[in-house]
Amino acid sequence: MKSSDTRFEILIGRVLRTGVVTSIVCLAIGLPLSLAWPEPGAGARLLNIGILFLIATPAARVVLSTIEYILERDWPFAVLTSIVLLELVIGAVAALVFHRKI
Amino acid sequence: MPAVTPTLALIIFAAGAVAGSTGALLGLGGGIFLVPFLNLGLGFPIAMAAAISLTTVIATSSSVTAGRAGMNLMNFRFGMLLEVATAAGSVLGGITAQLVAQTTLQRLFAFVTGAVAVVTIARSTQRNVITDPRVDPGRLGGRFFDAETGATVVYRIRRLPLAVVVSFIAGNVSSLLGIGGGFMKVPVLNAWCGMPLRAAAATSAFMIGVTATGGAIIYYGNGQLQPVAAAAAILGVQAGSWLGLRASPNIPVRVLKLLLAAVLGSISLLMLTRGGR
Repeated sequence: MKSSDTRFEILIGRVLRTGVVTSIVCLAIGLPLSLAWPEPGAGARLLNIGILFLIATPAARVVLSTIEYILERDWPFAVLTSIVLLELVIGAVAALVFHRKI
Repeated sequence: MPAVTPTLALIIFAAGAVAGSTGALLGLGGGIFLVPFLNLGLGFPIAMAAAISLTTVIATSSSVTAGRAGMNLMNFRFGMLLEVATAAGSVLGGITAQLVAQTTLQRLFAFVTGAVAVVTIARSTQRNVITDPRVDPGRLGGRFFDAETGATVVYRIRRLPLAVVVSFIAGNVSSLLGIGGGFMKVPVLNAWCGMPLRAAAATSAFMIGVTATGGAIIYYGNGQLQPVAAAAAILGVQAGSWLGLRASPNIPVRVLKLLLAAVLGSISLLMLTRGGR
């Protein structure tokens, strides 16, 4: 039980580190590029990829947790993490609705 | 909104570095310093300042959690349970932020920073949780090895409904104002819900990534996130918190806390008097 918890913690740590490092590398290259050439291009694209990676990383962690709890047959927690995921999806949908109105 | 020139990007980077290192020293996210600076200092609308700040919160949460993985200090189960409440709060907060006036948000910010200042002074003497290693942690409690005392700490979660309600409010305030919200959860989890301070702080730092994502998705999807400014702030905060965690200042904790309370008090007054333009 304990060792499987620790293993899961390390796995989550690895996913978060990969996400945040990828994002920061994209931002660190994209920032000087988009400042040097303000018109849309590679710099702006890298910044957007970096920000998307950043926002997607915690969401990926929630997906991973849901899978883990399903595999463990820990149904209450599988449901709880699914609700969190659903809430994030509602946020994304709400954003698009607002964006259309304005 | 100001045009983001290389000079402005550099200023935002520097501000992020100062906010990140101060935050790391004080155990507070940098957002509470960054948002008023972007809003009052640089003239970003508060929703845009909050959007930028939330992305720095996500980056800090991800890197801090990755660094602590495997130490059993973070209580994943309890954290994920509370995330149901913080994420609901932050999505609702992100929606509310689209509907309320800038001055309302500034007044709320002034109120929250003022309250944190008071809590900081009041909590100069911390209440420690008494733990018994024979206790059954239950389904939500936790167990970790405390290197400082060389003992295994076991704790049980008490007053779960209180933790859920506070998490919802913290999530809501987090995405309305662009701050992490740990300063609201940690004292409550520690003082009333039976969590040792270090476990409460680590679990909160783990949770705020998802909380901030709930708000950031809305601002980003609605086109309120300026990518160049966000990139400068994220890189600044990351560099700053890296430095802050490695610096070991010879300042007594009490002085640090009084200093923090004074800074927060000033921010609160500035938001009240300078806001509303």
